[in-house]
Amino acid sequence: MDLYAQVLVSGLLLGGVYALISIGLNLIFGVVRIINFAHGEMVMLSMYLTFWLNYFFGLDPYLSALIVLPVMFAFGFLFQLFVVQPILSTSATMKIFTTVGISLLLQNLALIMWKGDFRSVQTSYSMSSIEVFEIIISVPRLVAFGAALASIIFLYCFLKYTYMGKALRAIVEDHSVARLMGVSVEKHYLFAFGLGTMFTALGGVLLVPFSSVFPTVGITYTLVAFVVVVLGGLGSMSGTFLAGLFIGVVESFGGTFVSPALKEAIYFAIFILVLLVRPQGLFGQGKGTEEVGLK
Amino acid sequence: MKKKVLIFGMSLLLLLTGATGVFSAEKLEIGALYPISGSLALLGEESWRGAEIARLMRNEAGGIAGKEIVFVKGDASTVSAARSEAERLIEQQKVPAILGTYSSSRCMAASEVAARKGVAYFELGAIANAITTRGYNTIWRTNPTAADFSKAQIAFITEWYAPKLGKKPSEMRVSIAHEDSDYGTSVADSFSKMAEGAGVKIVSVEPYAANTSDLSSVIFRLRKAKPDIVMAVSYANDAILLSRQAYELKLKAPILGTGGGHSLQSFVDALGKEANGVLNVDFTQYATNENFAPGLKAFLALYKKTFNENPRSGHSLANYMGANIVFDIIEKTGGSFDVQNIREAAMAMDVPAGKTPTGWGVKFGEDGQNVKAMPLVTQWRDGKLVTVWPEGAAVMEPMIDQ
Repeated sequence: MDLYAQVLVSGLLLGGVYALISIGLNLIFGVVRIINFAHGEMVMLSMYLTFWLNYFFGLDPYLSALIVLPVMFAFGFLFQLFVVQPILSTSATMKIFTTVGISLLLQNLALIMWKGDFRSVQTSYSMSSIEVFEIIISVPRLVAFGAALASIIFLYCFLKYTYMGKALRAIVEDHSVARLMGVSVEKHYLFAFGLGTMFTALGGVLLVPFSSVFPTVGITYTLVAFVVVVLGGLGSMSGTFLAGLFIGVVESFGGTFVSPALKEAIYFAIFILVLLVRPQGLFGQGKGTEEVGLK
Repeated sequence: MKKKVLIFGMSLLLLLTGATGVFSAEKLEIGALYPISGSLALLGEESWRGAEIARLMRNEAGGIAGKEIVFVKGDASTVSAARSEAERLIEQQKVPAILGTYSSSRCMAASEVAARKGVAYFELGAIANAITTRGYNTIWRTNPTAADFSKAQIAFITEWYAPKLGKKPSEMRVSIAHEDSDYGTSVADSFSKMAEGAGVKIVSVEPYAANTSDLSSVIFRLRKAKPDIVMAVSYANDAILLSRQAYELKLKAPILGTGGGHSLQSFVDALGKEANGVLNVDFTQYATNENFAPGLKAFLALYKKTFNENPRSGHSLANYMGANIVFDIIEKTGGSFDVQNIREAAMAMDVPAGKTPTGWGVKFGEDGQNVKAMPLVTQWRDGKLVTVWPEGAAVMEPMIDQ
């Protein structure tokens, strides 16, 4: 019995990490409607930044968020301005090619600059865990889980109560109508990409205490983030959180009780089934938000 | 005037082509195919460094048959790149032989291209059994195979660990955790078969994808299986993840790795003191008895001089030893790369164990495999990877916490 509880807890913690990585993508994917295949590379860049800040200045990974987050906001902003904006009116295939290209470019730049070594930051809490009723909870993963929850609540309030947030939601629903209503769509795109990249960077920073950094670390996260965002529904922050947890728990139970080799296959199968029944995702806003960025 | 310029131009051209002609006659080109970008870049490059040092040393000593050795580099970043790069090296660069490759799947693809074109292929680092069992007579491998790794692991478990636990070999419970690509699967399979033959009980087999970000489910399954020891086949990142989560989730059994990720510096950098006690079967590492591996310290010094840092793993040493064997073979053929000549020279070679920097002897079988190559058991002790078994090669006794 306690094995089930332990597997559930591990799955939830893993899901928290997935949700954290996916929040930023939901903003970018949901608002700007671009399939950003370089998403994982943004995780990778933030992880490297955190690593080097620790390496050269001995900065604690959690503290380095104060530097990494603004830097990555600027990165996202500039990325939108110089890479995405010029190709915004082209076909979806074009956007895919561009972002896949950027993703490869960033991976190989990282390889040239920082080599293929697997780098880790050792902190006092890296491998610490607490035990509740004989269930082991990893501390850094718990922190990531908490950060995911906090980010979701923050973004939920932001999207619901601020003008900027309302404008972003309007763009998600229909960007042409939003433009007619006087929303400066391009300006909001810049902000959305910056904000999305910043939350992605938060994920990267919080991964560092328990995950190694290497040039191709982002690849796994790109895929899982897309699954989480589409499953949760575009524009729905709570959907992203719940979908993240769902994927984490499915992976954990599938891996433990079916086979570790099949854990990814199981959640992809469920993902396809959900899309067949509810194309807008489990918590999507309904009709019109089901198109997966392919206009 | 025009004519003069033309004549001058022509003679210049003649001079240049003539000069390069003389130049190339003094060079002996060999293709060097390794993954130097992409996900296997780290150890691919590390492997290349070993071969490169061997090349520099040999050139310093006068080259092969008086000719300077030149590597024409290829990048086997993926399996399909390995195939197309082998094609390019042979067709466009006209190399008469290729050495490499570190990765088994890339070697399988590239050596097949070479075999079809009748070009010699020297494998210095990939371990999949199938590389030398496909019936090609153009392939030679200097390093031990996956089967040799399994043999060493089982010998260690039955001859050293079982008596330590006061058990008979047939009472030993072993679990396997392996990454599920060609490499992990073939090593795990050959281990299972050999364990069965030795009467050792395999209590669970856990395959997983190497690029995963979580291995907690593997740990839970291992905890349920209650093995005496976990035999692991991992790349770099998953090796770290497996040990990290084994520690976090309190898996009691010790881990015995199979080359690859478990012997990397990044493994101990990531895990710190929790790496202590992790065992591994691998190519010869740097803390090995010098009497068993003469020339080991000299190689280490050369490496530091050439690359200004310590080796990241023993792959460079294995490739250094292998490349030297290749050069010795070509020396004997008088610089000829004809497959028949290479075969004769290779078959005539017989170096006893304990005479090379890896400690491996050299004796090629009919299939091109060096039957005197053998992996050693190493262990992480206070941040250093030391050889602990077998006795002649060891610098320390193995240690397992009960």
